[in-house]
Amino acid sequence: MSVKHALLALLEQQPMYGYQLRAEFERRTGTAWPLNVGQVYTTLTRLERDGLAVADGEDDEGHVVYRITDGGRDEVATWFTTPVARTQPPRDELAIKLALAVTVPGVDVGTVIQQQRSATMASLQDYTRLKRRAAEAADRAERADLAWSLVLDSLVFGAEAEIRWLDHCEARLRRAAVEQGREGARPVEDVPVPRPARGSR
Amino acid sequence: MNPVLQLADVTRVHGTGAGEVHALRGISFAAHAGELVAVMGPSGSGKSTLLTIAGGLDQPTAGAVRVEGTDLVGLGQQERARMRRTSIGYVFQGFNLIPALTAAENVALPRELDGVPVRTAREEALRALEEVGIADLAERFPDDMSGGQQQRVAIARAVVGERRLILADEPTGALDTETGEGILELLRARCDAGAAGVLVTHEARHAAWADRVVFLRDGVVVDETGTDRVEGLTERADA
Amino acid sequence: MRGPTPSGARLAGWRIALRLARREALRRRAQTALMLVLVCLPVLAVAAAAVVWRTADVSGAEGVERRMGTAAALVYGSGTTEVLQSFDPDGATSWVGEEEHVATVTEVRQVLGADRPLLPIAREYLSYVTDRGVGDVVVTQTDLAAPLARGLFRLEGGRLPRTTGEVVVNPALARRGPGLGDTLTALRRTSDGETRTELRIVGIVESATTRDEAVAGVLPGAVGTPDAPPQWLVGGDPVSWDDVRALNAVGLLAASRQVLSDPPPASALPPEVVSDEPVDETAMTALVLVATMVLLEVVLLAGPAFAVRARAQARTLALVAAAGGTPAQARRTVLASGVVVGLLGGALGTVLGIGVGALLVPVAQRLQGTWFGPFEVPWTVLLGVAGFGLAAAVLAAVVPAYSASRNDVVAVLAGRRGEGRTSRRSPVLGLVLIGAGVVSGLVGSRASGASPALVGASALLSVVGMILLVATSVTAVGRAARRFPLALRFAARDAARHRTRTVPAVAAVGATVAGVVALGIALSSQQAADERDYDPQLAHGYAATPVGGDADPETVRGVLAQRVPGAEIDEIAGVRGAGEGTWTDLSLELDGEPLVLPTFGSLGSSFLVGTSVPAAVGLAPAEQAAAEEALAAGRLVVLGRSADLPGGRLRAVVQVTDDATQEVLDERFRDVDVTSVRSPVALPAAAGIVPPTLADELGLTTATTALVVAPTISEAAQEDLAEALATVAGAGELYVERGFVPDSAVRILQWVLAVLGGVMMLGGTLTATFLALSDARPDLATMAAVGARPRTRRRVAAAYALVVGLVGALLGAPIGFVPGLAVSRPLSRDGDGATLLAVPWPLVAVVVVGLPLLTAAAVGLCARGRLPLVARID
Repeated sequence: MSVKHALLALLEQQPMYGYQLRAEFERRTGTAWPLNVGQVYTTLTRLERDGLAVADGEDDEGHVVYRITDGGRDEVATWFTTPVARTQPPRDELAIKLALAVTVPGVDVGTVIQQQRSATMASLQDYTRLKRRAAEAADRAERADLAWSLVLDSLVFGAEAEIRWLDHCEARLRRAAVEQGREGARPVEDVPVPRPARGSR
Repeated sequence: MNPVLQLADVTRVHGTGAGEVHALRGISFAAHAGELVAVMGPSGSGKSTLLTIAGGLDQPTAGAVRVEGTDLVGLGQQERARMRRTSIGYVFQGFNLIPALTAAENVALPRELDGVPVRTAREEALRALEEVGIADLAERFPDDMSGGQQQRVAIARAVVGERRLILADEPTGALDTETGEGILELLRARCDAGAAGVLVTHEARHAAWADRVVFLRDGVVVDETGTDRVEGLTERADA
Repeated sequence: MRGPTPSGARLAGWRIALRLARREALRRRAQTALMLVLVCLPVLAVAAAAVVWRTADVSGAEGVERRMGTAAALVYGSGTTEVLQSFDPDGATSWVGEEEHVATVTEVRQVLGADRPLLPIAREYLSYVTDRGVGDVVVTQTDLAAPLARGLFRLEGGRLPRTTGEVVVNPALARRGPGLGDTLTALRRTSDGETRTELRIVGIVESATTRDEAVAGVLPGAVGTPDAPPQWLVGGDPVSWDDVRALNAVGLLAASRQVLSDPPPASALPPEVVSDEPVDETAMTALVLVATMVLLEVVLLAGPAFAVRARAQARTLALVAAAGGTPAQARRTVLASGVVVGLLGGALGTVLGIGVGALLVPVAQRLQGTWFGPFEVPWTVLLGVAGFGLAAAVLAAVVPAYSASRNDVVAVLAGRRGEGRTSRRSPVLGLVLIGAGVVSGLVGSRASGASPALVGASALLSVVGMILLVATSVTAVGRAARRFPLALRFAARDAARHRTRTVPAVAAVGATVAGVVALGIALSSQQAADERDYDPQLAHGYAATPVGGDADPETVRGVLAQRVPGAEIDEIAGVRGAGEGTWTDLSLELDGEPLVLPTFGSLGSSFLVGTSVPAAVGLAPAEQAAAEEALAAGRLVVLGRSADLPGGRLRAVVQVTDDATQEVLDERFRDVDVTSVRSPVALPAAAGIVPPTLADELGLTTATTALVVAPTISEAAQEDLAEALATVAGAGELYVERGFVPDSAVRILQWVLAVLGGVMMLGGTLTATFLALSDARPDLATMAAVGARPRTRRRVAAAYALVVGLVGALLGAPIGFVPGLAVSRPLSRDGDGATLLAVPWPLVAVVVVGLPLLTAAAVGLCARGRLPLVARID
């Protein structure tokens, strides 16, 4: 998947050695997807095996510099022009957690949702703060900063979508509780009128 | 450190008897200087009521509303109006500029209403417009401006006269994402400069600009994030 | 399936439009109420006036009972042997016979049959002794209790007379003189002297015809032989038109119940009495002008409400347009509002008008001297008035309808509230129309060929021209508002932005002010002309009562001294014209031509006799001295204003004629020296003064011809004095020179104008202001949110009223000068063709400056001081 293509895309700009590749990747995508050097070298080996990149000697300090091949260029072009397939729900863990929480007795689904939402909100705030910092640095107007900012946006929208989905879950659970309440059964905790959670200081 | 805005156990009931609706049920809430607080919640959760009460446009059925230490509940209409001219700034979703007045005149409005000489009010207005980056549009009428420009004028109007509490009700609601972020940036900057802000929104993305997000549902605070921020601020203020 | 025919589709379109209008009317109740009031009020006022007028107007049929009781006809002698009459002999009669003839009862019986009941009745003016002197009374002599006379009088107290020593009187008589149980002294004055009859008042009656005149009723012969043609109330079968003609043929006039109640066709009238009344062009023009102006005013007043409603519907209309609706459909939707409001307002106004009219009838009755007829509702007139209301409402909706159908759909859907630019052509057209109005006014008021129609056109043209200028003026004010204080700036800009609402209101105020100024100028100019043309009879402040030869000046002096204590009373000596059955006349001739010396003769004689000119003549000191010098020199002094008065040697002619035969008994000529002295007035109190020596030489009788009283006698004292002097035989009427007294009606009219103008202005300003305030709700909410005090709303309201009132007044006042000037010229033109222009500046100032300020203050005080506090929802 993408680590291979991401490194190839970086190599397309200029030949680089492993450590350099990792730094460049993180500079462009932020700390969003941390990459360890081992992963980088494994990937480079695989690229060389598939004939997409070649080791092109050493630099002055003895680092092995990799260069993209024509086959690699084709691969990058294909990658950029092919849409990312949504074959897998991206937040599978959370979805599974909730699905289980709803079905397993004794779990307070409301609390699960609220805690998750607070957490996601906190991340969203962090992303936003990063974005502001990026915007402050935007005076330098480098394309790489724009790239970083776009990645942040992706994270922001993702987090936002998650919060909205959580809101939606909560609303549906409440409606279900009201409906079941009418039928006499109350298997889910008393969501309808939530008690005040925490007051502020 | 005293908060700029403090709501203590505020309840607001609309109507009586069978038609009684509890918009707010004993809410306590504060916004400190330098802090932007977002209030989130679905429609009917009481967000807007909270804001109108904080702005002295509405009176709570029970509880206290203190702005810079003054309890709005004990004040008469005249005094509350004075508070809105001098301490509280309002930003609405629909911009709510007066179409018969130019941008500069709209911004100067609270100052003029406060009895400041027209010339002084105008100078202050021009400064505020410069702050929001549209000093060149001072003589335009609202109808000749884009939504984003109008909202910038509205923000200038909300901050003119060094008011320390800014209440924004879905200020980005009528704007596209990018323009909306520009408005949030202005709000954020204003809070970083020492004002207290309350931002009512139903979009998490916008709420994330706040230091603290308060979730409202059915007139009650159900959740809150970033509460540690206050301590951090206090430390900073003490330092 | 049958496709809709074009007319079917149009009908359906109207049905939808009307339904929308009805719903909208119910949804916006306050606004609908305002519209209804604006349409309703004028309809109500006119309808009520029509009801009162129709009720007060006693038509022939209604008056029958009052004139002839229960009789079939009232027959009376015409004074000759053959006459012609119209259906009502009070209308037109024409003498055919040439000799004088006193009708007899036999003639009546010969025509109408011998067996009809006849009741002789006589009505005449006699005098009676009042508390202070002598007054006039209409005395009816007849058998008041007779069945035929029933309906002539209504007994209010006491009983009817049973003997010739008894009398019934009406309250009007009792107020000034004797009451029930007292004695009424009736005086019959003839050339032979005075007959006094003492009658005991046994009853109080109300006359069927008059409330404020003194009326008395007695049995025949109670006060001697009536000095009036004999009259009979005729009973029995109806008297036909043929009977009336037959009566006419023998010199009798007849008012027949049947003919009056059910008149025969006009062709039955003898052609001699058919009067083809020419339609009064001036009256028609005035009527058309007034109707047009009222319609215009109502349209302008109701216009803003429709404009606001049209704008409230603008979004709906824009959506309709976006969904494929045609401009005609949009127009129809707004026009339908006018139809609904017009129908409702017209009907409501008419019904309420009838009610108000019914309430007003007793009030109006109290102010009137005659009794009103039975309550009457003039349905045809009311229908017209209701139609007028409908027309006004529809016309008021026309302009908003057109502008609504032309609205920029995109702008409306985008929520922009303003209106487009003003037309560049309309102000130019407006100026052209005003110019045309000026020309038309000048041409229409020329000395030769003055045309009321052109003057009317000038009024209409200039007002319409002004209306076309309003939009531009309002925009200009909005642009100039930069330096205004906040409330005024907001009001001026908002007014400029919402012109469909502002323009009609400003125009209504302007038209009102123009009308008030025009009428004010006309009134003042006419009054100024009256003052210019006024000829005082005496010097200012003097009063004079002429005394005849049969009067004792000492008695008159006694009465005057008693009634006006401390007054200076002078006797004026003059040439006594009338002697024992003869008349002496003094005149002057120049070269054989008799000299015309115009004079009021207010001192009892054309020529006074004396060595000085009485102060009451009012000469200037220099002239007074010159006259006295001439008199001392034995010269005759003549007074006059014209510069070319003759002086020097003239021939004096003294002529003595016999009163009865007009025969000249004696004529004397003598050349006299004459000095002419300039009199300040055209008609001096006397033509000249004869020195006593000259009077003797001419053989003239000198006597006291008048008594002059100074200083001024109050009006109340004058009334009492007149009654007291009426008891002195030979004493003439007392005249008091008060100088030119402006007709109080003019002053009242000016007040009425100012008040009416104020009311209309208030109406126009209030509608515009409150519509503007309801429109500005979101803006006021915004102001509240940024900390406006509650009084800001009052200020904005007052500023709005000021803008509308002031702009309207400033536009309207100069416009009012155009027709005002045109009307004042014919009104003030004197014999020499000179015209006057008197501008009632105080009235203009009140209307232009005072009223707008007052209205603004009133609006500011009345406006709710509460701001809408809820944040607006767009």
